Amino acid sequence: MADPRDEALAFAETAVALMIEAGAGDAEATVSISDRFSCEARDREVTKLERSRGRGLQVRAFVGTRRATLATSDFSRDGVAALARRVVAAAAFVGDDPHAGLPDTVESDGVCDHDLFTVAPDVAERADEEKIEEALSMERTLREADVRIANSDGSRVGDSVSSWAIANTRGFRGVTQGSQVSRSAAPVALDGDDKRIGHYGTAARGWATAESAQAVSLHAVHRALALIGARKPATTRLPVIFERDVAAAVLADVFSALSAANVALGNSWLADRVGRRIGNERVTLVDDGRLPGGLGSSPFDGEGVPTRLTFAIRGGVLEAYLSDTYWGRRLGIASTGNASGGGVAANNFYLLPGTGTLDDLVASTERGILVLDTIGFATEYASGVYSRGARGIYIEDGAPLYAIDEFTIASTFGEMLESIDGIAGDLRFDGTIVSPSFRVAEMTISGT
Amino acid sequence: MLTALDPSLLARVLSRALRRGGDFADVFFENRLTQTFRLQDGIVREASSSVLRGAGVRVVVGQRAGYAYSDDVDEAALLRAAEAASLIVREGGEHDIIVALTPAAAPVLYATGSDEPAESKRYVELLGRADVAARAFDPRVASVNAFVTDELQYVQIASSDGRLVTDRRPLVALGVQVVAREGAERENGYVGDGGRTSIDVFDVQTPESIASESARIATSKLGARDAPAGEMPVVIGAGGGGVLLHEAVGHGLEADFNRKGTSLYSGRIGDRVAGELVTIYDDGDLPGERGSVAVDDEGTAGQHKVLVENGILRGYMQDRLNARLMGVASTGSGRRESYRVLPQPRMCNTFMPPGTSTRDEIIASIDRGLYASSFSGGQVEISKGDFVFMIAEGYLIENGKIGAPVRGATLVGNGPDAMTKVTMVGHDAQLAHRSYTCGKGGQRVPVGVGIPTVKLASCTVGGTGRG
Repeated sequence: MADPRDEALAFAETAVALMIEAGAGDAEATVSISDRFSCEARDREVTKLERSRGRGLQVRAFVGTRRATLATSDFSRDGVAALARRVVAAAAFVGDDPHAGLPDTVESDGVCDHDLFTVAPDVAERADEEKIEEALSMERTLREADVRIANSDGSRVGDSVSSWAIANTRGFRGVTQGSQVSRSAAPVALDGDDKRIGHYGTAARGWATAESAQAVSLHAVHRALALIGARKPATTRLPVIFERDVAAAVLADVFSALSAANVALGNSWLADRVGRRIGNERVTLVDDGRLPGGLGSSPFDGEGVPTRLTFAIRGGVLEAYLSDTYWGRRLGIASTGNASGGGVAANNFYLLPGTGTLDDLVASTERGILVLDTIGFATEYASGVYSRGARGIYIEDGAPLYAIDEFTIASTFGEMLESIDGIAGDLRFDGTIVSPSFRVAEMTISGT
Repeated sequence: MLTALDPSLLARVLSRALRRGGDFADVFFENRLTQTFRLQDGIVREASSSVLRGAGVRVVVGQRAGYAYSDDVDEAALLRAAEAASLIVREGGEHDIIVALTPAAAPVLYATGSDEPAESKRYVELLGRADVAARAFDPRVASVNAFVTDELQYVQIASSDGRLVTDRRPLVALGVQVVAREGAERENGYVGDGGRTSIDVFDVQTPESIASESARIATSKLGARDAPAGEMPVVIGAGGGGVLLHEAVGHGLEADFNRKGTSLYSGRIGDRVAGELVTIYDDGDLPGERGSVAVDDEGTAGQHKVLVENGILRGYMQDRLNARLMGVASTGSGRRESYRVLPQPRMCNTFMPPGTSTRDEIIASIDRGLYASSFSGGQVEISKGDFVFMIAEGYLIENGKIGAPVRGATLVGNGPDAMTKVTMVGHDAQLAHRSYTCGKGGQRVPVGVGIPTVKLASCTVGGTGRG
């Protein structure tokens, strides 16, 4: 089969030409082609097998400073041409937007895929049968780990290799490739009537660097068992330790507030605060598009702008919003190489780690809560209020005392960043937004 | 646009899918055209069109499913997908199976409109009207973002039992987000409406009504107090409060979790799982509603389902695979985000029918509590039923009256426990106007929710209020 990178770039160029033919002044086409495999085992059976090649074309077209976009899975020349005519016609009804347009100049800076290690060779080499056997072995690990694990929602193993290419009318041509592997497990612990699912999963560029199947299974079992017998805590204020996955979810909300799109729309508690102190000196948040082997690493972003390292918050001071070209123009700042899918997204966004382990954080907490899991999600970033349902462990005298659930933890993002008083060294790059475990000095716990 | 594949081609694909064996196979073909316009700060800044076209082939054997999809819909590509899906059958030889398909149309549930989207200027005009109305509502309205989307999805579902069902599904939505500002304080509101109908619906559900409601929510929270923390009586608002049913009960009654025994409701049909006053339906067959399905994504007709009746658990929501394994019929609940993924048992329009109290009686029964007028979202954990809801608009209840607005409030609790604490049900049942989308296993599908005003005798409110 032809190299999907060549196919992607060739079709991106065709799509740009079709847009010009339809009457667009400027155009940018992005083509992605992905080969994906996933399997799921439950107990001794292989319960799901999926293998497909998927593709997509996304185009941004500009008629003067009027913007129109299209997306399609239909790669027929006629299909794309018809859609191109449709969006160019629709663009006539769009208002003039002086900030709309392609990046002014985009020059390749010579960074190649192999410098960023985005493709792990062991992904293409591994046979499907081996992945299926691994999913079955993960199910055995779950059930052998503890007598209280008699059921599961399945163990999953999957991988993908994706190629994507960008071409635009300003002469940019770029193509890159990335691989990804994932493992996840969902054991069900049963103790009397108390039923608890533990979810845990990991992802990496390749099998060699991913957390092992056994480690993933055992961590999921630990999560299922940890909450057995949980009770509702009293309403009070206490220090809260965020285990690293939950900590990453907090950072994802902070990223949204740092996104130039939300800032420009006034939908961010960080609007108008560049140069101001918004956290204590322990807090440094960076986005690194060039992290070797990072799941969000790429030589260029979604509109062909070279990626880079950006300090968003350094030593507690807000230094920069994260932006693509359009929202950057709205705010009068340069793109930070964070364009993705027509919006702003993280490359590899993380909190600089401290030292020590999660256990060290627990041991240094006189009274507090270790949060293992949160439920709920942010729907607004304007007010900066944080409130989530949570499950975890009550800590006394530096030791876990009992499991707790059915409570919320609440504060504001500003107060949380100001009062982070401990950061562990357990950072792991298994997503595009990751965090070490950290402790917030005090939050409101709502329970009984 | 290509709206159907040749039935004889579909039959050949099904034959190939079952060549290694299997209980049944199906092909899901779709061609979907979506037209969207977005407005920000007074300007329509973007027009977008998208096409999602392709087909997925599934082979089921027992609890096992093999799946492959193709963005190309020529014979060679579809046979390749059938071959890949058939690899789930891991034993036995190869057999030639002949599949004959009998076409059937889906029941009529949606307004029959044009196959083409409306004139662009019509969408632009709707957005302009929404923008003006939001700004006119209050000078503290600082930013207005709105979108209107108009989608038409053709589906063709062929199954190895000989059924070939086609459906034509419109879906429109108009949403307005407002940020209100006073000094350094910012608050937002969001309201959306629409359904499985044409954009003519916005002649009735006007952009002005949607926008001013969104502006009202945003401005009402300026100067709001921090939400209180702790247990108290909570009144769930009619309409938007229906998220409570979706999260606290609905997900736990989806058949996959119950067949696998991972839900707390597993094996409990006929048991008392809620208070006397609690009855919950899930309806797929409400004309024009956002969560409705004339047929689901497996070709089964959408239905009225009684999930809980006067507190007794009556049934689960079934797709084909789980219904087969549990020895019951599908309830028309097999839904999927697109041809790229396997169907799952999902909710349609989940709601509670009216009771007998008035809203004023319910509020008057509480000395100190919280009125949760609407939710912006929620989430549930399936094995124990713990839920969280984010309150979009909430007020303190003081001395039997609605008091000051609060911000940043969430509700946390346990589904089965909360359902035993329903002590009053209003007569004002209504479906919510918010354009809800439900996520499960990474797949998003449009749903509807509805509820009358309901009193929970006690629920934990999560806030930052220190008093």
